[in-house]
Order: sequence, then C-alpha cells, then structure tokens
Amino acid sequence: METYEAVLEALGDRTRRHIVDLLRAGPSSVGELAAVLPVSRPAVSQHLMVLRRSGLVSYSDHGTRNVYRLDTAGLRDLRAWLDSFWDLALDRYAQRVREDSLDIGAQPRHE
Amino acid sequence: MPSNLTSLKPVRKSVTVPAAPPRAFELFTSHIHEWWPLQTHSVGARQAVGLVFGEGVGAEIVETMTDGTTSVWGTVTHWEPPHYLAFSWHAGTPEGEATRVEVRFTEDGPGHTVVRLDHSGWERRSDGAFAREDYDSGWEPVLGRFAAVAATLH
Repeated sequence: METYEAVLEALGDRTRRHIVDLLRAGPSSVGELAAVLPVSRPAVSQHLMVLRRSGLVSYSDHGTRNVYRLDTAGLRDLRAWLDSFWDLALDRYAQRVREDSLDIGAQPRHE
Repeated sequence: MPSNLTSLKPVRKSVTVPAAPPRAFELFTSHIHEWWPLQTHSVGARQAVGLVFGEGVGAEIVETMTDGTTSVWGTVTHWEPPHYLAFSWHAGTPEGEATRVEVRFTEDGPGHTVVRLDHSGWERRSDGAFAREDYDSGWEPVLGRFAAVAATLH
C-alpha cells in the first residue's frame, strides 16, 4: 500500500482521528489515551498500530511504558499526494489550452 | 504542532498557458470535461461519463455517471471572468465539510496567462456533525476533511 493510502485508511476512522487529536496536545501512553476514549485499551492499541503503520504516530520506550507521539511523516505524504493530484489536473488543462492555440493557429486568418 | 499546521496550509499551484485570460477562463470552466482526469479523479471513477462546470455564482460543478446519477462537487462562489473564480469543493463528502478552491487568471504577456490555483479551507471546522459531539475538537474535523477530499480524488 502506498503511504498516502495508509494515511487515508488511518484517518478514515473517527476514533483514530480522535487519537491523533489527543496526541496533538502532547505525547501519551496507551493507558492515558484509553482513559479518555470510549473504547477499550486493547482497541486503543490496535488503533495505534494502524496509526504507526501510516506514519502518523511514532512511539518510544520509556522504561515500562510506550509513549506515543505525533509524527508528521504521514501527513507530509498525504499532502504530497494532494499536490501531485493538482499537478496532474493542471498539466492536462495546460495541454488542452495548447491544443486550442494550435487549432486557432491552423485557421485561416481574416484580418 | 506547528509542523502539522504547516502541512495543512493551502495547496498552491500555478501554470502558464498559451491563451489570453478570457479563453483560459473559458477552457478551465466550460471545457472542463475535455481535460479533467475523470477516469482516475472522480466520485464514479470508471462509471463517470460527464463533468459540467456551471456558469455564474450559485452554479454547480456536477459529475454524471453512466446510470444517469449525478454527484455535485461544489458550488461557484465567485464568478468574475476572465480573472477570478472561486468555488466550494466537496466532491464525495458532505457539503458542510467543503474546502475551497480559488483560481486566478493573470495576463502574462500577449496571449499568455498565469493560472494560479489555491485549494484551502482545511482549517475550517465543519459546523454540523462534529459540533454535536460531546468533545470539542478543533483538529479532528480537519483531519477527516483532509482525508475525505484526498480519498475522493483517489
């Protein structure tokens, strides 16, 4: 799966968006996240795994607990993809205008 | 998280085309079906057969599928030919989660136009579904909207 697709899949879920939002305030452990989310701790762990795979979240080992934090790599990939989408659309538009100008050039001129 | 905010700034693009602004504007709007990559960038994908860019404020951008159903992608909010055009953008997403696209056509020497496109509005809250939730989150709708728009254009 392309990275941006993983990001889309990750952000397609409401709980995962909520987790990303919570991590925006600062790094958290699974337990801290589970305490404020309406889902179980194992479910939070599952969501965090999806978020890690997409590059939206990273974690570090702090003794006995894993601390999760936002990672901007995932959003950068998604953003890059959106950029490339508009590049493609505008390229095709420019090509269409070029064809148009050639058509006009081929017409007999009456000046 | 400033770096996240940076990554959600408007998408800005520009291209120079060999036509004066009036024709560049006309090709961008009335002739959109002739250049938009509909097969890969639409709600209906392979079922998509048509795309119409309505003229004037309040007009819609509408995709048509093979079975005749339609999908509204957005509504024109500014129609100032040949220099400026703006429309809401909610292809495949609820209208309340619309982002915004602005297009400026600036003459660049005789017979040439610089077309600048800004796709923005990622930071705006949707005031419908999310406002009813019991937590007040400024960021979650942003992520959702960003993902939804990008997914639609897949």
